[in-house]
Amino acid sequence: MSTRTLHTTAPGKARLPLATMLMLAWRNLWRHRRRTVVTLVSIAFGFGLAVVMIGFTDGGHNNMIRNAIKLGEGHITVQPRGYLENPANHRYLADGKALASQIQALGVPGSVEPRISLQVLASTPANSVGAGLEGLASVDDARAKMLQPRLIDGSWFEPGDERGIVIGDGMARKLKARVGAKVVLMAGTQGGDSQAQLGRVRGIFDSRVDEMDDFLVLADIGLARLFLQGEGADASLAPVTRFAIFLDDPDALAVWAQKLKTGLDSDTVVALDWREMMPQLVQFLFIDAAGSYIFLLLILVLVVFGIVNTVLMSVLERTREFGLLRALGLGRRHLLLLVFLESLLLGLLAVAVGWLLGGGAHLWFAYQGVNIGALMGDNTQMMGTFMDPIVYSELSWERVQQLTLLIFIATLASGIYPAIKAARVTPVQALRT
Amino acid sequence: MQLLQVQGIGKRYRQGELEVRALADVELTVTEGEFAALVGPSGSGKTTLLNIIGGLDAPSEGKVLVNGKEITAMPEAVLSSFRLFELGFIFQAYNLVAVLTALENVELVMVLQGRPERERRERARHYLELVGLGKVMDRRPSALSGGQQQRVAVARALAAGPRLVLADEPTANLDSENATALLDIMYKLSKEEKTTFLFSTHDARVMERAQRIITLRDGRIESDERREQSSHARALA
Repeated sequence: MSTRTLHTTAPGKARLPLATMLMLAWRNLWRHRRRTVVTLVSIAFGFGLAVVMIGFTDGGHNNMIRNAIKLGEGHITVQPRGYLENPANHRYLADGKALASQIQALGVPGSVEPRISLQVLASTPANSVGAGLEGLASVDDARAKMLQPRLIDGSWFEPGDERGIVIGDGMARKLKARVGAKVVLMAGTQGGDSQAQLGRVRGIFDSRVDEMDDFLVLADIGLARLFLQGEGADASLAPVTRFAIFLDDPDALAVWAQKLKTGLDSDTVVALDWREMMPQLVQFLFIDAAGSYIFLLLILVLVVFGIVNTVLMSVLERTREFGLLRALGLGRRHLLLLVFLESLLLGLLAVAVGWLLGGGAHLWFAYQGVNIGALMGDNTQMMGTFMDPIVYSELSWERVQQLTLLIFIATLASGIYPAIKAARVTPVQALRT
Repeated sequence: MQLLQVQGIGKRYRQGELEVRALADVELTVTEGEFAALVGPSGSGKTTLLNIIGGLDAPSEGKVLVNGKEITAMPEAVLSSFRLFELGFIFQAYNLVAVLTALENVELVMVLQGRPERERRERARHYLELVGLGKVMDRRPSALSGGQQQRVAVARALAAGPRLVLADEPTANLDSENATALLDIMYKLSKEEKTTFLFSTHDARVMERAQRIITLRDGRIESDERREQSSHARALA
């Protein structure tokens, strides 16, 4: 191999292929195996813990949302414009039949439940209380299906039963009413008159939500519609207060809410999703989730300091080697990238191990759940909904992406300082060390 | 052909309140293929001069031309590339990248130069065999003796095809046997490859092989002696 083969490459800029840089970064990471493992495990463990915690938070919240939707007015509600801000018995959708056809024509995948909501005074010889009369079209209505298993006495009213009512145990106590008792339901009309209908208690439920147990009177839609007729409604047009729409795929909410808004919104009708229907619940969930985000923030701080500590120590130990590399012709940019890659690899490894730990725990708890009944007792009701005693961990794909991205960004941020430190090494000073 | 021209180089730096003059009015010319030694007592400016010639340090005054190019006027990025393609370095110790094998260490500079994988692999093997490390090229520095590590550094410096190799006391940390072997290898390769070597040294064995001995004292060139090859060098040649 003679000198003729020397200087064959035209002088240019130093090139360090990514593969070589990755190999160097990977090996550098394992120079101090124990230190890297300790950092890796601590970050991964913290991250795994954050995954589990957020899984449970999301699981609990989703459970509450699902219950709120079932007990409430569905994923999407179509009702008179202004009803949410100012509900009144005389605000109703006079031509329910035509609106039902319009909704059906849009091909919404799910069930569409016509409902009538009225403010009434419920009276027995013992007492009178304000109540919300909810007329349901079928026993398959989501709210009916949710409450049927929670009957503690009697039975559910039959379809077309224009006298049967089902009340909560709270109201039953106030009215001193048992199954079979007569309850007079009275409501004022817009014209200032009053109207009344007689109901008979068929069953008593305990929904676990005091607001519902103390306030709700459930009846066949036919009984409720008698009150609308008293307001002047034409029964042949099937007047209703609203349509509660339950989607087969809750993830399609945004799409269908938009389609319904576009297709139905007018001066008199509005389509609202559950977030718009229950803004207080949304706010509550947001505040409740803040605790988990603070925990996540602490984990991110742990990640940043863990990586900065490990990589910076490694950089300081290698000052002389960096000087040598600079002397040999490696540019500052390459050193910067090399050390940055080390942080990146450490972060990615930590995320991978963290996902293995946290993801494994999440999968376990997603199937097995955790019984928090003993911890919370009957105290699982919040904001007009409740949490089931067994909470399952839930992580949406968006949440997985979000968590991974957050850790990834934290990793990138933590790589900056050690990388700059390495790039600032000057050969002469470094070689003197 | 004049490969290296050092013109009026001076170097001053501050040490607390004191201004220290490390080099003053150094004039030096080295022709291609020379095997030259910079000698002098500690603190005479040998390493500082070598660092300035290698573009690792900037002079306070004067200029350095390598192969006609003024390196003292080059921006840092250009200088870095210049070192990569034109110069070879051998330091006193800790010459190698710890996480790379001997073969990978020799290849590294050629990787940076952008040479094709096959070419750099062949050259790396060739030079490692020349320095007698054919059987340990897959070992990392921690599994090599000090002498073997310095031989890897020599192989790396030469495999990259530099015009000028700057060696800062390369034998200072070696025992007599290893030092002699290493110098013999460098001397032999310099003759075969026509590569120019400039040593900073205290080592009599280097001086014995050098064709030229430049003596520095208090930052100035005290003497510049060209001489006939020693019997040892003649024997090697």
